[in-house]
Amino acid sequence: MDTLFRLVSLQSSDQQSSFNSSRTSSSSRSSKANHQLFHHPFQNQQELDKYREECGNNYHLCVDEDFSSSSSSKHLQPHLSTPPTAATTTTASTTHVLFELADFSFPPDLNIDFASPSSSSSAAGGGGGRWAAQLLLECARAVAARDSQRVQQLMWMLNELASPYGDTEQKVASYFLQALFARLTSAGPRTLRTLAAASDRTCSFDSTRRTALRFQELSPWSSFGHVAANGAILESFLDAAAGGGGSPQPQRLHILDLSNTFCTQWPTLLEALATRSADDTPHLSITTVVSSASPSAAVQRVMREIGQRMEKFARLMGVPFKFNVIHHAGDLSELDLDRLDLREGGSALLAVNCVNALHSVSPAGSRRDLFIAALRRLQPLIVTVVEEEADLQPASAGDGGGEEGEEGFLKVFRESLRFFSAYFDSLEESFPRTSNERLALERAAGRAVVDLVACPAAESAERRETAAGWSLRMRAAGFAPAAFSEDVADDVRALLRRYREGWSMRSAEEADDPGGAAPGIFLAWKDQPVVWASAWKP
Amino acid sequence: MMKGDFEVVNGALNLVQPSETWDYTPAGFPVPHHISNLPSTTARPVLDGHCTNTNLSDFMEQVASPFSEASPSTNGFPMDTSLPTDNITTSPDEYRSRKAPRRVHESAACGGESRSSKSLAERDEHGLNMITILLECAVAISTENLPQANRMLLELTQMASPYSPSCAERVVAYFTKAMTSRVMNSWLGFCSPLVPHRSILSAFQAYNNISPFIKFAHFTANQAILEALHQKERVHIIDLDIMQGLQWPALFHILATRADGPPHVRMTGLGTSMAMLEETGRQLSNFARRLGMSFEFHPIAERAGDVDPSMVPSQRGEAVAVHWLQHTLYDATGPDRNTMRLLELLAPRVITLVEQEMAHTGSFLDRFVESLHYYSAIFDSLGMSLPFDNPSRHRVEHGLLSREINNILAIGGPARSGEEKFVSWRMELACRGFVQMPMSGNSMAQAQLILNMFPPSLGYTIFQGDGTLRLGWKDTRLYTASAWTARPTR
Repeated sequence: MDTLFRLVSLQSSDQQSSFNSSRTSSSSRSSKANHQLFHHPFQNQQELDKYREECGNNYHLCVDEDFSSSSSSKHLQPHLSTPPTAATTTTASTTHVLFELADFSFPPDLNIDFASPSSSSSAAGGGGGRWAAQLLLECARAVAARDSQRVQQLMWMLNELASPYGDTEQKVASYFLQALFARLTSAGPRTLRTLAAASDRTCSFDSTRRTALRFQELSPWSSFGHVAANGAILESFLDAAAGGGGSPQPQRLHILDLSNTFCTQWPTLLEALATRSADDTPHLSITTVVSSASPSAAVQRVMREIGQRMEKFARLMGVPFKFNVIHHAGDLSELDLDRLDLREGGSALLAVNCVNALHSVSPAGSRRDLFIAALRRLQPLIVTVVEEEADLQPASAGDGGGEEGEEGFLKVFRESLRFFSAYFDSLEESFPRTSNERLALERAAGRAVVDLVACPAAESAERRETAAGWSLRMRAAGFAPAAFSEDVADDVRALLRRYREGWSMRSAEEADDPGGAAPGIFLAWKDQPVVWASAWKP
Repeated sequence: MMKGDFEVVNGALNLVQPSETWDYTPAGFPVPHHISNLPSTTARPVLDGHCTNTNLSDFMEQVASPFSEASPSTNGFPMDTSLPTDNITTSPDEYRSRKAPRRVHESAACGGESRSSKSLAERDEHGLNMITILLECAVAISTENLPQANRMLLELTQMASPYSPSCAERVVAYFTKAMTSRVMNSWLGFCSPLVPHRSILSAFQAYNNISPFIKFAHFTANQAILEALHQKERVHIIDLDIMQGLQWPALFHILATRADGPPHVRMTGLGTSMAMLEETGRQLSNFARRLGMSFEFHPIAERAGDVDPSMVPSQRGEAVAVHWLQHTLYDATGPDRNTMRLLELLAPRVITLVEQEMAHTGSFLDRFVESLHYYSAIFDSLGMSLPFDNPSRHRVEHGLLSREINNILAIGGPARSGEEKFVSWRMELACRGFVQMPMSGNSMAQAQLILNMFPPSLGYTIFQGDGTLRLGWKDTRLYTASAWTARPTR
């Protein structure tokens, strides 16, 4: 169902007819709908004066200490008290007016197609109706160009159209608008803290578990990496165990788990261990590291409960099992890996599992390289790396990640928009419309967007890199790629068949990676690679 | 896409199935007795020795009353320094004590479908917490403390779900959304609305399907029009905001079969988009043709308050009926003064007016309290009849009710403009020499007929008084239908 926006009443009928013609062709991209229909509510000065009584006080807000910043507020100072620079061609007789909605039509160069594809099938990349991305990008450009009038105008439109509970377009608009607002009010870190604290307070084991399980059940987004990584870990362990030359006692496997998926990965591995190695089931230890900028009591409670359930499950499976949780406050790169007893006195084989962990390391300085080098020093049997595929590196990460130019902001904004649009789109099609689990996932993504758009890169935990980027770092640290076996690839393919259409697996060569720099496999949603899984050996 | 829209409209027209609800002769319908004394609640359970109502809106009234009491007059909440800040920050604690016992019960009433995993006490605390923050936030907005309001809104966006089994939580989610939008508008300095009419229409239709409110408005108005146009051969019906014209097929049906023969019907539909008006006109013309009725349709893509009266000419010998179903989805009519002038010029034989029983002309805090009360009742009523994950319910709440809440809480009130709006149209009509025509027994019968389509346990209630008919939920009156005439001598 498309939306017919009545933007204004004061346009003449010729515009309406162009509107009509555009609607009939709204399925094609060529639609040149210029929906310049804006409503100018003020009929005369008297009405306006009344109106100002309620609105007029806002002016001081823009210089309010909380709602302004040294840099952006200057540019965003609304032109409320200045005469409009461009009067519309309409009947508005109000050049002296405080609230002139000057130029308050769509920018002429914008051809927004509002034929919103809320029917789920047509939402694939392209097609008509990607208005959120268009408006948001225009808005980000205006922010970068410090064009305050245009920023105001676009944010006003976004604010009118967005909703966190609407269709995908409305959701994307809503979460990115929130982030832009935080940026323009220099409230990024504070906004993020408030959001995270409130989210923590409502977090419970039940809600976390429901969300994670439902996500796994309806979308391969997380399970794709789990299956690939588990396959690689298991094979390398069985190989090593077999190569160990028939040692009398059962082998021990220790997994250093750096992931954010609440151990939903491990039940299938426990199952596989229990069934594959018939008589002498190996001893499994998992050390899970929960790392966050500020430790939260809620997460500790959740992890305690998860630990109990894992142990119970291992008993059920007959796998000798030990589970540790390390709560680490601060950046993951500051974690002292040597203090963790990962070798269990030297007898255990070590696997390192990084699921969405590497991008949580600050991109500042060379923290990421140092962290990967630290993993290398552990001499693990295998390292599995699962990362979401997006190029969100700050432009100047090399020299400290401090200064962020407008170019850098735009680049990250555009890429965030692309990546999270695909994410929201996949959620939209996978979950029922009124799912609280989906809402939780969307809110988490919304917090990531605030981090990416409104917070300094150096403190960011969301700066994803591409497979090619991670591969360079892995190789530089002395790791070599370990290809997934055909069996593992088959497992992944079988997994994807359980979900609805739109998902596919592709190897790095098939994906858009001409240099072939990245090994591993991609999960693609409607032809866009979204998650990358890989395995590495020293 | 276009095709889909046609189909939607078609479906709507078929939905108003005349044979079901209009199968009677206007004269001979038995009028139920004591209709206004219908039991308003099915049960009043006792909790901890307190006799409480299961009704969230009632609870809201209790919670919100301190705000109303704090204001010296209905529209004069002290916006300036007269309300010291520390007073504001402490006030939520005062509510806590009186809210707690009622709140428990509300959770039980509205969260019937909830999973047992979350204990009642937990949910209770969660809901209580959210409403406390929401109230604090409203105070912060009313005192222009937007940074503070923004912080609380950020918290609420993480807490309240519009898909929750708890109606209160859903209400909080949508109020949070509306207030977030308002804060953004304040900061931007702009507050004009953008109105997605297509999606509003489809949500409106869903609302018509799942609750009796719209049907009530349509059928009571139709009955009043029918009676006023008795024996008239040429009639001119003017709908001030026709949308898809959902209510007219039923009227056509009864006009076509009336004892004194079908009249010639001219209909003027006002609306926002010529394309949609023409579509509505086509549908109505088709329907009239099938009934063998002589019918013409005049679309006017303007608001009543902006329209040049010469565009709505009355013809000699024509009986004029004006219908106006008010809402706050967008400003459908423009300046009230002009609309009144138009009505005076038209001097209709009958004006059917359906109003929302909610004042939305006061200060922000007044509007907040009024609308919180009002929409809590509507959300509760939907919660009684549909499960929490029902897609139609979500569509109505998100596409329709949320939009109304958004406009009511927006800068400039529901019209989102500086235009003067009457506090009460009924009062204004009376002042301008229009004479109220009491709703007849048959209108009451119509309303009762509609309610009979919904089980009595859902809590919908009809109130009769002052010559009006009101449809409400439990004790809260929500929609008021009244009829007026400019020609008292007939």
